[in-house]
Amino acid sequence: MDQMKAIYIQEANELLENLEVSLLSLEDNPSDKSNIEQVFRVMHTLKGNSSMFGLAVIAEFVHDLETIYDKIRQGEMTLSKEILNTTLASFDHLNKIIVDSELQDPDNKKNHAELIQRIHALIHVEGVVPTPTKVEEVAKSDVLTLDGKNRTIHISFEPDETFLLDGSNPLLLIIEITQFGKSIVVPHIKPVEDILTFDPTKCLTSWDIFLETDVPISQIQDVFVFAEMSASISVSEYPCVELISNETFNKKVSELVQSESLISVEMISQLVKELGIAIETSNTTEISESEKIEIHSFDEVKIDEVKPDVPVANSPLVKEKVVSSIRVSSDKLDELMNLVSELVTTQASLTLYNQKNETPELEIISENIEKLSRRLRDIAFGMTLVPINNMFGRFQRLVRDVSLALNKEVQFVTEGGETELDKSIIETLTDPLMHIIRNSLDHGLELPETREKLGKPRKGTVKLKAFYSGISVYIQIIDDGKGIDAEVIREKAISKGFMKPDDVLTDKEIFDFIFYPGFSTAAVVTDISGRGVGMDVVKRNITELKGAILVESKVNVGTTLTIKLPLSLSIIDGLLVDVANVNYIIPLSVVDKCYEVENRQMMNNFNELLVLDDKQVPFINIRKEFGYQPLSGSEKSQIIVVSDAERKVGISVDHIVGEYQAVVKPIGKYYKNQDFISGATILGDGSIALVMDSHKIIDLYTEHVKYDMKS
Amino acid sequence: MAKTILIADDSESIRAVVGFALREAGYDVIVANDGQHALDLLNQNDQVSLIVSDLNMPVKDGITFLKDVRSLDKFKYLPFIILTTESQETKKMEAKQSGATGWIIKPFVKEKLIAVIKKVIR
Repeated sequence: MDQMKAIYIQEANELLENLEVSLLSLEDNPSDKSNIEQVFRVMHTLKGNSSMFGLAVIAEFVHDLETIYDKIRQGEMTLSKEILNTTLASFDHLNKIIVDSELQDPDNKKNHAELIQRIHALIHVEGVVPTPTKVEEVAKSDVLTLDGKNRTIHISFEPDETFLLDGSNPLLLIIEITQFGKSIVVPHIKPVEDILTFDPTKCLTSWDIFLETDVPISQIQDVFVFAEMSASISVSEYPCVELISNETFNKKVSELVQSESLISVEMISQLVKELGIAIETSNTTEISESEKIEIHSFDEVKIDEVKPDVPVANSPLVKEKVVSSIRVSSDKLDELMNLVSELVTTQASLTLYNQKNETPELEIISENIEKLSRRLRDIAFGMTLVPINNMFGRFQRLVRDVSLALNKEVQFVTEGGETELDKSIIETLTDPLMHIIRNSLDHGLELPETREKLGKPRKGTVKLKAFYSGISVYIQIIDDGKGIDAEVIREKAISKGFMKPDDVLTDKEIFDFIFYPGFSTAAVVTDISGRGVGMDVVKRNITELKGAILVESKVNVGTTLTIKLPLSLSIIDGLLVDVANVNYIIPLSVVDKCYEVENRQMMNNFNELLVLDDKQVPFINIRKEFGYQPLSGSEKSQIIVVSDAERKVGISVDHIVGEYQAVVKPIGKYYKNQDFISGATILGDGSIALVMDSHKIIDLYTEHVKYDMKS
Repeated sequence: MAKTILIADDSESIRAVVGFALREAGYDVIVANDGQHALDLLNQNDQVSLIVSDLNMPVKDGITFLKDVRSLDKFKYLPFIILTTESQETKKMEAKQSGATGWIIKPFVKEKLIAVIKKVIR
């Protein structure tokens, strides 16, 4: 049952997520019928589930909420701001009590009581009395004991002719009844007038049932609960009389059956009265005719003729479960990814071995395995990717709450929610994005009045946009607020000692200072954002994901933050290069172009700039940086130009080997403090190639340039 | 031969609980997320002996699903039980008039579920 409970909690969380999305769009468009329906439906399901799992506290709570939306749905109430706020507060509360259904946390208990009051107040305002929920246990049978003493019950059961049409089977009801005790079942079959026009779907049979039992009458009525609407049923009780054991009664009944089609209640009452005397004088009653008594038990009756033709095929039954999706623990997915990456590595060595040996049979096998492992890789990747939409929903709420707190009017637009990202990336990304959005709302957007003065629409816009580019995903947060004033940042950077007053920096380089630890431009620190601890953490988080972040801004036009992320962390397409016979991998996603230059071009170079395609490109000489012997001036080097969101840097290497699908493995904690290498991969021959961290290299280089400028 | 029961409910929790109870009672179970899904499954599978369906479902609600089932000659008389939290008579009446064989009101205990099923199929 614990597993069931886990399903319940998981589903409840999903339902609540849906609820939030619907509520927020309701806020934008309160008259949207489909959203109200959706809210109602989600609440209804949540209530049903909660009561099924015996969580009466939650079920009752949701029931009251649901009442409001039911009224709105029916047009008996109108959706007010107050209702929405209460619902959202209730939503937050539900999120907590889903795991605390007994309200053991005193805070939850207090909240619960308050919210219930608020909800009831809302319902009362509209003059609607909340109906109590039916979450009590299934009604127990009346506790009526007859001290084990039997009495006789007569049931007259006469189904309508249409009784069989909805798939009801009267025989099953009769079987149920006969299990309560000793019984006589008397069927009455209406005559079939013409066999040619006979309609087998019509129910032409009715029954009289005599039952000697001690079960309460309600339990007997309960048997016919589905039949009540399409049959006439009467149940009469003859206390303290055991008729079925009585021979005279049996005889009388058989006589009645032969003479009349239906046994009326009066007749039986009459009979019982007579028998009341008869029982007392039973000593004198003859029992000679007992063997003649013929009781029609239902087994003998050929009701099959009028039984509807319910299609039940007899072919062998295959146990079939239809599942549209399954839940897999993320540990298992990670393990799958791990195995796939091992397979990719193993397959690389097979390919290499095959290249050396040139056995045609082996080549076929090797190529097949390569194809299969590639497909397997793609499928495994597909499983770990989740649409970014899931995350967008949360921000909607954030924007709403924050803008309310700040008295700002905000329109939140999302675009590209279908873009998929690795689930682990999405998890890590949520906090940084939240921080950026908070910043945009707090520092970016102006108050409605200010905006109007500037000739902007009162409502500010914050746009969250995601899209693919190559094998990277871009996420942009765009606002149309006041923008960042480069001059302000500049002054601040100088006052904090991040730069010298005479340094000449581009606006982009200046904007980069907002990612420096301890840098905050907000004059007033608010609750919402801005203690100067935010943006550096944002940048660090994104860098950890091998992503890059870039700010663009224009005063009074707005700010755009662009985050670029690799699609997956563990397997990358790389460019295999070598420097002094050591292999390195450069992620193919950042490689812009490759050039061949003579070494002397780099040697006689003071500002470390190369002119490539008529453009100056700064470069890093790996041989120099890594302390290898420099090549002679006449030898040629390869320059690989890599770029992040904005900047371009050339990396000089000895040779380019080719493309390589690299399974990136961490290199361990002893190497974590260096800036060039982000991981390692195993090549087909078992040797190791180090994966260059292009973003860190670009950063490092930029610092290098700054250092030069300062000195 | 175990009988097959088709469960239609948009709530995974309910599907899990009902499915568990029915499998335990020896039935085979097919599950669907909504009325349309259920109808598609029913058309693919002629071994279904009973349908247990929620009323409030997305895409296609229980009553519409029931009416669709009844409109098909093949399933005209297939036992159909409504599973719902609506305890109001109106919903039950509507379902019954649309051709439902019976109903189960949530919340219910396993024994009650099986008892109701036994009323409808052997």
